[in-house]
Amino acid sequence: MITTISQNLGPVMFGALVLFLLIGYPAGFSLAAVGLFFGFIAIEFGIIDPSFLGAIPFQLFSILSNDLLLAIPFFTFMGAILERCGLAEDLLDSIGQLFGSIPGGLSYAVIFVGAILGAITGTVAASVIAMGVISLPVMMRYGYNMQHATGVIAASGTITQLIPPSLVLVVLADVMGKSVGDMYAGAIGPSIVQVSLFCVWVAILSYLKPHHVPALPPEARTLRGKALAWKCIRGIVPSAALIFLVLGTIFMGLATPTEAGAMGAVGSLALAAMYRTLTWKLCYQGMSSTMRLTAMVAFILIGARIFSLIFQGVGGGLWIEHLLTQLPGGREGFLIFSMVFVFFIAFFLDFFEIAFIIVPLLTPAAEKLGIDLIWFGLLICANIQTSFMHPPFGFALFYLRGIAPPEVKSRDIYLGSIPWIVLQLILVGLMIVWPEMVTYWLDKPVQIDPAAIQQRMNDLTPPGLSAPGGGSMPPLDLNAPPKL
Amino acid sequence: MTKLQWGLAIIVAMALMVVLVLALCRHLMGLARAIDRLSATTGVAANWLILLACLVSAGNAFARYLGFGSSNAWLEMQWYMFAGMVLFGASHTLRVNEHVRVDLIYGMVEDKTRHWIDLLGGVVFLMPMCILMIYFSWPWFIASWEVNEASNNAGGLLRWPVKLMIPVGFTFLLLQGLSEIIKRAAAIKGFYVHEYAYEKPLQ
Repeated sequence: MITTISQNLGPVMFGALVLFLLIGYPAGFSLAAVGLFFGFIAIEFGIIDPSFLGAIPFQLFSILSNDLLLAIPFFTFMGAILERCGLAEDLLDSIGQLFGSIPGGLSYAVIFVGAILGAITGTVAASVIAMGVISLPVMMRYGYNMQHATGVIAASGTITQLIPPSLVLVVLADVMGKSVGDMYAGAIGPSIVQVSLFCVWVAILSYLKPHHVPALPPEARTLRGKALAWKCIRGIVPSAALIFLVLGTIFMGLATPTEAGAMGAVGSLALAAMYRTLTWKLCYQGMSSTMRLTAMVAFILIGARIFSLIFQGVGGGLWIEHLLTQLPGGREGFLIFSMVFVFFIAFFLDFFEIAFIIVPLLTPAAEKLGIDLIWFGLLICANIQTSFMHPPFGFALFYLRGIAPPEVKSRDIYLGSIPWIVLQLILVGLMIVWPEMVTYWLDKPVQIDPAAIQQRMNDLTPPGLSAPGGGSMPPLDLNAPPKL
Repeated sequence: MTKLQWGLAIIVAMALMVVLVLALCRHLMGLARAIDRLSATTGVAANWLILLACLVSAGNAFARYLGFGSSNAWLEMQWYMFAGMVLFGASHTLRVNEHVRVDLIYGMVEDKTRHWIDLLGGVVFLMPMCILMIYFSWPWFIASWEVNEASNNAGGLLRWPVKLMIPVGFTFLLLQGLSEIIKRAAAIKGFYVHEYAYEKPLQ
């Protein structure tokens, strides 16, 4: 019995993790406790050395000194300020009026504004709340179908997760050990495809069920000509400036993603000041909610690191990798399994838990099967997007519920999200059959010819030495004492 | 003592703690409130670090564009502040119940069961974890303190203050864990209404 357990400590530990997490105690603490508990058991069984646990302070320190993780508070803070600064209102107002005359015009406006906000910030809350407050009442007043209206708002809010600078991509890049810049570059294609998919769906709907997405009557379009143009400029110019400040500096290599996040946060403070919405209360609330999220995320990561330190020590990592690489269907089998698994696990775990617990288990197997990790990371990102749209972690739906007028039923919000979840899954499918969507935007890897390198190495002759084997070094006399 | 005896002693100690806290929670409420105030204070410090870190990081990047160059001290200060937000903020986050849970079961059970989960989780998971973390990281800090360790980077900062933050932060967390245990016990006994119901953290 004891020997069976000690030989299969990896699987046992994994089972204990699932059990302990299910109890419902905060995940970060449960993870750390499972890790430490099994650490002592493994030492007792002689599987790992007692000095193994001494590595824990180093693990902690490497988390705290990770510059990239600072992007989490910066982007969250930026989102918290932007959420209530008035930019989204201006954008929606103007673009809504611009597209208002065509059927489904308000839906297109919501999608485009979602994409613009997504390119500015990295968190969901900002866009969903602003769009729900402004667009939902207008859509309801002019007879939009309720389920469609709530669905398009929630879905457009989640675009943020995929469009750079996305916080999800920063975290995934860090976990997978890839560059954030590459992740962002790879996300450009899928983002465009996603926005197009959403628009195509609205177009289909306005053809099949025009009464669900009516055009605005002329009396609703109050702004015309110069006034409309001015309003558009007022919304779009500051957005473009912020996009440059954050995304531009990252892509041009001027700033690290962390610095870009900090500049974006300062920029959005400046923008809020410009809109005269900046109050100390707004700023402090942003600081406070950002701090709580940061501490929470960092503790999940601390717990996950301690867990995986011991888990790797008892051979659990190899066990998982073996399981995953032996799946029927090889590479394709693994991809399908991991996508289905991530989709369903997102019903139980929130994004950060998936990133810190699940992704490190999948990554080595993916690497071994020769899967491009940038592509794989973006697949996971697109896949996880759905979890912002379905219960129980459907933040987008919660936000919407929070701000929707009482006549909007929860049932409408939940049912309305279904077509958009399907659209997001179609995106995942498209990315799988058409990887160029991601890789097109990446720098081509430098082709390395091993033979040429060998030749170069051979050509290198250290100065002062004749050809190899020439024996120009004076012979060493080991018996003689060194002459000083 | 053999290892088996050690294990048994730990289990008995945990059980004793649960019993004691349940019996004495009425008298311990003052202590819990004092700890809550401490955590609120460290939480305010952590809040400020968010804004400061933002300004330092953005300022550093700007200075580099303008050709003033940047220094390692500023870069290192950013992650010192990150360590500060996490370690000083975690106890406050625990106080307001915002550490994320897997609430498949937690979300379905009634309040009393939730209090029991939090009470036992605090005694079995959180407290031992914090104690071990302090135990592992304290000698590590001492070693750094004795040699007055500084960063390897040119112009870098002293290293031991951030290493000191780890055991200190976990001490705050340990204390807050104790406060939560007392409050949950009081809630089970029915003379305290827990003010922070669990809500999913919003992103």
